[in-house]
Amino acid sequence: MSRPRKIPSAYLSWVAASLLCAGPLRAADHPLVIVIHGGAGVIERSRMTPEHEASYRAGLGAALDAGYAVLERGGAALDAVGAAVRTMEDDPQFNAGRGAVLNHDGFCELDAAIMDGTGPRAGAVAGVHHVRNPIDLARLVMDKSPHVMLAGAGAEEFALEQGVTLVPESYFITPQRLRELEDDKRAAAARAPTTPLPIRPGGGPKGMGTVGAVALDAQGHLAAATSTGGITNKLYGRIGDTPIIGAGTYANESCAVSGTGQGEFYIRQVVAYDVCAMVRYQKMPLAEAVRAVIHEKLRHAGGEGGVIAIDADGNYAMEFNSAGMHRGVRSSTGKREIAMYAGAN
Amino acid sequence: MYSIAIHGGAGAVPRATLSPQREQRYRAGLEAALESGYALLERGGSSLDAVTEAVRILEDDPCFNAGRGAALTREGAAELDAAIMDGERQRAGAVASVRHVKNPIELARRVMEKSRHVLLVGPGAEEFALEEGIALLPNLYFRTPERESQLEHEQRGERVSDLVPPGLGTVGAVACDAKGNLAAATSTGGMTNKRPGRVGDSPIIGAGTYAKNGVCAVSATGHGEYFIRTVAAHHVCAAVEYRRLTLEQAVRELLHDILRGLGGDGGLIAVGHDGRIVMDFSTEGMYRGARDSSGRRELAIYRGDAA
Repeated sequence: MSRPRKIPSAYLSWVAASLLCAGPLRAADHPLVIVIHGGAGVIERSRMTPEHEASYRAGLGAALDAGYAVLERGGAALDAVGAAVRTMEDDPQFNAGRGAVLNHDGFCELDAAIMDGTGPRAGAVAGVHHVRNPIDLARLVMDKSPHVMLAGAGAEEFALEQGVTLVPESYFITPQRLRELEDDKRAAAARAPTTPLPIRPGGGPKGMGTVGAVALDAQGHLAAATSTGGITNKLYGRIGDTPIIGAGTYANESCAVSGTGQGEFYIRQVVAYDVCAMVRYQKMPLAEAVRAVIHEKLRHAGGEGGVIAIDADGNYAMEFNSAGMHRGVRSSTGKREIAMYAGAN
Repeated sequence: MYSIAIHGGAGAVPRATLSPQREQRYRAGLEAALESGYALLERGGSSLDAVTEAVRILEDDPCFNAGRGAALTREGAAELDAAIMDGERQRAGAVASVRHVKNPIELARRVMEKSRHVLLVGPGAEEFALEEGIALLPNLYFRTPERESQLEHEQRGERVSDLVPPGLGTVGAVACDAKGNLAAATSTGGMTNKRPGRVGDSPIIGAGTYAKNGVCAVSATGHGEYFIRTVAAHHVCAAVEYRRLTLEQAVRELLHDILRGLGGDGGLIAVGHDGRIVMDFSTEGMYRGARDSSGRRELAIYRGDAA
């Protein structure tokens, strides 16, 4: 065991003086960064029509800009990730909120989580059927209840108590998702009940993955948010990694992560927390930790998907071991990128 | 070395208020679970079977806040959560908010072994139970007069009884078998007077339950929301794996520095890759027991009780 070294006080005052000489550290000295994803999976250029590609890019761009606008006017990372995720929940192309994939019984069951890296505070909902923006309900669980996670009918009871209007199940269902469910039910005949379901964000008009966002604000605070309908043809009651703090969503003072992929693998490996633990305890750069988790640990276990992650210096990573991942980043250095296939595009 | 540890919840039952009769009942319940789990290991059984068996027995015992005798929601119903994890293959199964399944830990095990999923919740989990041929019971089966009066007192704003206090009862087991495979299992009714639908840390893999061969297996009990936010069970494993802390150090840091720092209380049991058991808590007591093949055998409630 090494003993803590004594630091001479003269050295400390020198450090303090040089910090002062560098000028006052204004809050705005933190770069503003938001990173989003709209799901990982079989996203290949050859399977995507120009119309679909343009439409996804527009959807990602709208979410990215909605989140960034919050940061730009001095808002909290927590509000920015909420705004970005809400925008994608309302966009039927993405597998969250309206346009979420259907379970085996033909309706949507939605999961979402949000985490504030300072605190740490967190809120999550699972298996809700009638809440238009699950990410807003997750935020209410965090802000207005002593709990972290509410599920099913109890979560909707809480929504009503908070004045949230419920919508009918039909609000979420799109013809596209109905077709996907029928397709998967035909394919399911050949599968064992324990075979992991494929994540189906097909190129073309097929389903899309989970949505999520991570951000760093002017105060240097981090936050993460994730929302999803899960996986097409999932069992009634199945909860994936998205609302599990540490699995699909995690944030602390030094790192924030949102995941998308085959949720069962993310739960077993505690993927989001593992990235942050490697950064903090193994002193790994963020990009390296994310690569190790996605390309080594997750792939080794047989899991497919990706994560977005950000650290307190504004370093970020968008990594996946699937064919593609819908993703975007915008920052105060002027960067604004949207991509979906492997490689930078 | 093979070993098993169990807990029946961490909670500050002040020693003065625990009657000798009730203490006797708790000890008998803990002993039955510990001995059954250990007997399985002794016969060459797997750690997975041992933790399932120990937790099943605690679920059936109305003294403990899991299965029969679980704490009740604000609407007076039992809503049960459970999880199990196999450290060898890193498989896991969990159920949350089930109201009609006698042994939630067995359903969690079915989720792990018979479905492609890890976590099933509410009516969907019960639908799966029926498909698996598990008979459902009325919710009345779980409710005991003690829990009903505890709920009444809680709702009137009084804190009483020498039962595990609201919020801190849960049962769990960790084990290391002769092959060195680790497993963890946890089951609970959650907090008394909880809101329906509230899910605590027990069924959250990484929070209340975690196991990884070569590192450790952990089952936690306490103020669940804090264990979720700190990803408590996985934090212990990560501290051992990434920072080379001893299991004792990792557990102590989590309970006494991190959770305490946030205002959360509770306890946990853990078993290391070598079968060594650690049991620690930040509350006044934790119902607990441990037994291993090198002769350790203890049942304890308060600090300094171990003898």
